[in-house]
This record gives sequence, C-alpha cells and structure tokens, in this order.
Amino acid sequence: MGGQFSTRVITLIPVAIAINIVLGYTVQTVLKLPIYLDSIGTILVGVLAGPLAGALTGALSNIIWQYTPGIGGGAIGAFWVVAAVIGLLAGIWGRLGVYRSRPASGTQLLLAAIVAAGLVILLVLPIVNNKTYLDPSVGGFPDWAVPAAITIAVIAAVVVAGFTYLRRDLAGLWVAAAGVITGLIAAAVSAPISAYVFGGVTGSGTDLIVAALRQGGSDVLSASLGQGFFSDPIDKTITSFVVFIILTGLSPRIVARFPNGDRLVRAEAIA
Amino acid sequence: MSLALTEVGYRYAGATATALEGVSLRVEPGQVIGVVGPNDAGKSTLCLVSAGLAPGSIGGRLEGSVLLDGTETRELKPYEAAQRCGILFQNPATQQSGTASTVFEEIAFGPRNLGLALAEVVERVEEALAVLGISGLIARDPHRLSGGEAQLVALASVIAMRPGALVLDEPTSQLDPAGTRLVGDAIAHLATTLGTAILIVEHKTSLLARLAQEVVVLDAGRIVARGAAATVLDAPDLAAHGVRAPEAVSIRRALELSGLGDRVAAADLEVLGA
Amino acid sequence: MALASAAIAFAVREWSGPLAILALVVATASIARLGRPLLKFALATIPLVASILLVNTFLFPGATDVLVRIGPFAATGTGLIAAFQATLRVVAFALSVAVFSLTTPTDDLLSDLERRGLGRRAIFIIGSAIGTIPRMVERAAEIIDAQRARGLDTEGSPSRRARGLVPLAGPMISGALSEVEERSMALEARGFSAPARRTTLRLLPDSPTQRAARWLIVLATIVLVAASLTGLVRLP
Repeated sequence: MGGQFSTRVITLIPVAIAINIVLGYTVQTVLKLPIYLDSIGTILVGVLAGPLAGALTGALSNIIWQYTPGIGGGAIGAFWVVAAVIGLLAGIWGRLGVYRSRPASGTQLLLAAIVAAGLVILLVLPIVNNKTYLDPSVGGFPDWAVPAAITIAVIAAVVVAGFTYLRRDLAGLWVAAAGVITGLIAAAVSAPISAYVFGGVTGSGTDLIVAALRQGGSDVLSASLGQGFFSDPIDKTITSFVVFIILTGLSPRIVARFPNGDRLVRAEAIA
Repeated sequence: MSLALTEVGYRYAGATATALEGVSLRVEPGQVIGVVGPNDAGKSTLCLVSAGLAPGSIGGRLEGSVLLDGTETRELKPYEAAQRCGILFQNPATQQSGTASTVFEEIAFGPRNLGLALAEVVERVEEALAVLGISGLIARDPHRLSGGEAQLVALASVIAMRPGALVLDEPTSQLDPAGTRLVGDAIAHLATTLGTAILIVEHKTSLLARLAQEVVVLDAGRIVARGAAATVLDAPDLAAHGVRAPEAVSIRRALELSGLGDRVAAADLEVLGA
Repeated sequence: MALASAAIAFAVREWSGPLAILALVVATASIARLGRPLLKFALATIPLVASILLVNTFLFPGATDVLVRIGPFAATGTGLIAAFQATLRVVAFALSVAVFSLTTPTDDLLSDLERRGLGRRAIFIIGSAIGTIPRMVERAAEIIDAQRARGLDTEGSPSRRARGLVPLAGPMISGALSEVEERSMALEARGFSAPARRTTLRLLPDSPTQRAARWLIVLATIVLVAASLTGLVRLP
C-alpha cells in the first residue's frame, strides 16, 4: 500500500477535508468575507501527495460539506468538480517543484517580489476600471463590494511581495503564478455549473459582482465567468501562499516522507 | 518472544547526522528494560527502530540487526512487524482511530484489519481488555475517556495484535498521577502475565525504578551506561546525562548530605522504592 | 433513494421535476418526523435562494415583459419564472440531501459500503473526516472566543475581519497537522496496511423487496435524466 495513497496520506486527507470545511464555513458565515478559503486542505494534499490525492480531497470536501448536519445545505456539493480540479492542479504544481524553496537575494529577489505583487494587483484592474461595478448593487448591500475587493487584493499583493522579499525566496513568485492560474481555471470550470444550476449566483459574497456584471448586460454565463475571474484567482493565490507558508513551517524531515517530498525540500535543508 | 538489537545504527531519510550508533541491547520475554536520556538522545528513534516502523514506514538508513523473535525488521512489512512488536506513544488522543463509537470497536480495529474471523476478533478484544483490567470500559465512547483510560485502551488496541514485544515511548508523560499509576500497573502485569518483552522510555525515573529490571542510558545516539535499575538510577553522573534521579534517591542523598543519613532506616527508603 | 431524487431534481428542467421531488421529500420528512432538522437545512439555503430570486428577477438579460420598476431596475416576468425554477431546483436538491443525511446514520452507511467492497482506506477517510469536523468546529469556536477576548472583531469592517483570520487559521491548522505523523504510525501499528479483507462487524437487514426497489429507482433515474437532457420528452 504505497504510492500516492500511503497510510500517511490517508491520515492527512481527513484532516485536510476538515480544515477545508471548517475554515470555509467560518470565513463565509462567521467572518462574512467575500472570499472562499475552502481549498487550503485540498491544495496542501495535492502539493504533498500528488494530483489524485488532491483531487480526491477536493471532491470529498464538497460532498461531505453538503451532507453535514448543521453547516450543510446550500448547493456546495454540485461544485465538487471544481474542487477536484483544484486538487489536481495542486498536485501538478507540487510535482513540478513550484513549492520548493529557491533562496535568492539582491535585485533578482526584488524583481521577483515586484512581479508577484504586480500579478495580484493586475487582477483588480478590470474590476476597478469597469464602470458597471461602481453602480450600487442589488439587494440592499452597501457599497463595500469594491473597497472590499481592492482591500483583499492589496493585502494579497503585500503578503505575496513581502513574503517573497523577506524570506529571500524566489518560490514566492512561482507560487503566486500557480495560484493565479489555478484560480483562473477554477473560475472557468465553476462558471458553467453556476450559470446552469443557479442562474449565476452561489449564495456567497461574490454574488454582488455577478449582479453588477449582469446589470451591465452580460448574459448569465459571462457574468459568472466575470465574477469568477476576479474572486477565484485572488482566493486561490492567497490559499496557495497559505499552503506555502504552512509547508515552510513543517519540519523538512516530515515533508520528505510524503510522495512529493523530494520535489519540495532541498537536500541540504534536512539536518 | 525477544527483541534483540545488535550494533544498530540509524539515520533519518535525507539527514546527514546519525540518530543512533552502535546500539546493542536485548530484551528477554517477561523482562522490562527502561531507557533514559536527555532530549534528542535518540530515544524515540530507538522505539521506532525496535518496532520496525523505521525504516519500514518512515524510510531512512538502518545498519546492524534488529531481530524480533529471530526475524529482521527490515524484512517485515509494517503490518507484519506490528504483530511481533507493538508500540505506544505519549498522546492518547492521536492513537485512537477516530472512527469507532465504542471501545470495543476501537480495540477491534487492529484484528479486523488482519481479516481475522469475527469470533477471533471478539476473543482478542475481550482478552486484551481482561489482561489490562478494563473490561468495564467495553461499551464506553472512546472520546470521553480520561487520559489514563484512553492510554489503556490504546495499549489494549496494540495488544490485540498479539505482539510478543512492546515498546513504549513516554507513555505516561501526558497523564496525571492517577493515570500514571494505572498504566504503570498495567505494564508490570503484562510482563508477568503474558511474558511480553518490554522496552520503555520514560522521564519518570521513579516509575522505572518500580517497573524495570535493567536500565539503559542513551545519550547522543549511543548507550553510555547500562545495568541493574537500582545501580544505574543511583549513579552520581546520571544528572550529567540530563536525567533526574528518582525522588527516593534524591531524598536519600539530601539526607546524607545533611548528616541524617544513618537516622533513616534503610527499610523506610525501600518503601519509597530507592 | 435520496441520491436518485437529488439527481432528478437537477437534471429535469422546467417545473415538474423539482416540484415532484419536493413533494416526495416533504412527504418522507413528515413520515419520519424530521420537520425541525429539515427546517434548519432549509434555512441554510435562504441566502442562496434570496440571491437567486433577486438577481434573476431583476437582471434577467434580454427579457422585455416588465412587471414592475424599482429605480433603474426592472423586474421581468421571464426573470421571475427563471428565478422560481432555479430556486425549486436548488431547494429540492438541498433538501433531498438533507433527508438522506438525517435518515441515514453515518456508521451504518459506512459499514454497509465497506461490506460491499468500498475499501478500508476510503471508508477511513470519510469516517475520520466526518468525525474530525465537529471537534475542529469546537476548536475553532474556542480560538475565536479567545481571540475575541483579545480584541478580534467579527462584526467590524471587512479589513478588520480579514486581519482576524490569521490568528484563527494559524493555530487551528498547525494543531491539526502536527498530529498527522503520529496518527499514521498508530494506524500502521494496528495493521492498517495489511492486505486482507477487513472483517465485517455488523450486518444491515436487507430484503428482496428493498433490493428490487433500489434497482427500479436507479433505472427510473437514468431514464428520466436521459430523456430530459436529450429533449426527447417535453415535461411541463
């Protein structure tokens, strides 16, 4: 019994699923922030154990969440495909060594930090420039949609750049890129589900953006896509960074025991 | 069944420093051997190596020979090693499967994994509970047990695999005095009743004074002292290796230093376990 | 059975599918006296339903049969109909799953799946995840309370709430991950990786009638979904 589903991985997956659900629920319901943060566990498993394990973690997280009395309900379960894709991608990034530390210093480092921050900020621009978003949205919510979006993007950019620079680690740039790409793909996959099933809304804070886009005249699918193309990359980038921070906090000895271990840890790092 | 290590060296996967070097030790059936030493001495590594989990489950480089009842651990898969040598860790909560609603199911977890017939599974569970004297817990919820009870259930789960040897890595460090006593008594009982060969790592040297016949001091991956429990635990240079002597020994020394040594009867100190 | 009804609720467009399923669900619920817990599940769908109703009614692109005007927004008839359909679909789906979860004890479900050959690793993952969630929720609540005592804001502006995230997520995640290594070794010590077929502990009662009913439902689901998707049968 080995490979991607060794006993160690089997032990990790339920913990990751629980982290996904509890954190996702807390962020969306208790803290009421317009991001998801329900994929930390999925990406962690993908990076540590590989694409199949990551995909399984994602899919099961959504299904179990739907089914849990007390915090279940809504229609999270329908998006299991998206979660599986996120896990799959994370496994690929892990295998490619995206999450491996790459110490650097000086101008190279500064450049990387700036590019990383730039990537994140870039995602906000279409929102800010589009007049549609600035119109008051439906449903009696105040106008905090745009400031919230900008705040989150700025925080994300600062974290990304700061992390890359302070840790003297080029990996920050690669992780940011991986997060953005994952987010874009996730948005593309979830838009059709969202559009067909729910007419474009999912009951979370991101619905305001959909509403705004619709008002501008886009059809249901494009509105879902538009919303997704903002929230998902930001969310997945933040999540990817959280996973990276978690990984750097784990003892290299332990990380080395996971299937992707050799791509995540530099040989000299282990005492 | 015996546990025999000969010139054992071990290095963790990817590490450059060795965690164990030149370790030789032998535990006979029914014997209890204690292991003491400072932090990072390699005591936990010694446990993992003895139980066959290193290198079997965590990789790494093993040198020398680790024999469980005559078979090398490196030739055993983890589930085969588990049936020869059981291992108990310090945290009772992490050793629960988390999927059992009764203690019975929890202890049955191991035998069921082996695919044994239902009748035999039940027999092993009841036997494990009886040996440890906790048959009364059979229907309780594993998540609602006290620390000592949970640790005993974990021990029962391991014994249900019918290992001939047992390795315990600081089993009482997270327990209160009551729990410590429970577990200590259980361990003594196992050695005498089932004839299990027991290797126990402990910081509580008083406990070892009571349970172990021999004690081994491990420092920086090597054995630096060994002998009868009473001798080793009384040695003056014990503190140099980061080990606290049992209370009784400290008391006796304090008395001697203050000149009251001869006033206190030797018999009184024996009661304290010196 | 619940799974089948969930699938039907989604795949069958227009009105009749979701309505029928909803009726079925409510009927089952009242028989099993599940009213109150079911209501909780239903309430959880309210934010979603509100969103759906509002956005679709007022913003359905291309609709011209205006019913009402509120400021710059126009509620359209087509939009309203689309909204209701979507709502019904969602509610029927959510409640089907809810009934399933409320009527099936997890232990029995997993036990039965394992007996039918699902494999001990999958069973362990699901069982362990379901068991870990309540404990983690408790831990999260503890952490939030502790942080609130130190000034964490859960009601204030978005940026303040965001800042409260790290002190919550940090301890929770690191606490959970630190145990993974020891847990996996404990599992190995209990023969988790043994190749044998795991011994069954309990047997759930089954009967030929139940088995026949199951096959029938599966068949019916496949037929209905296929018919609806390919447009062969037009239901109202």
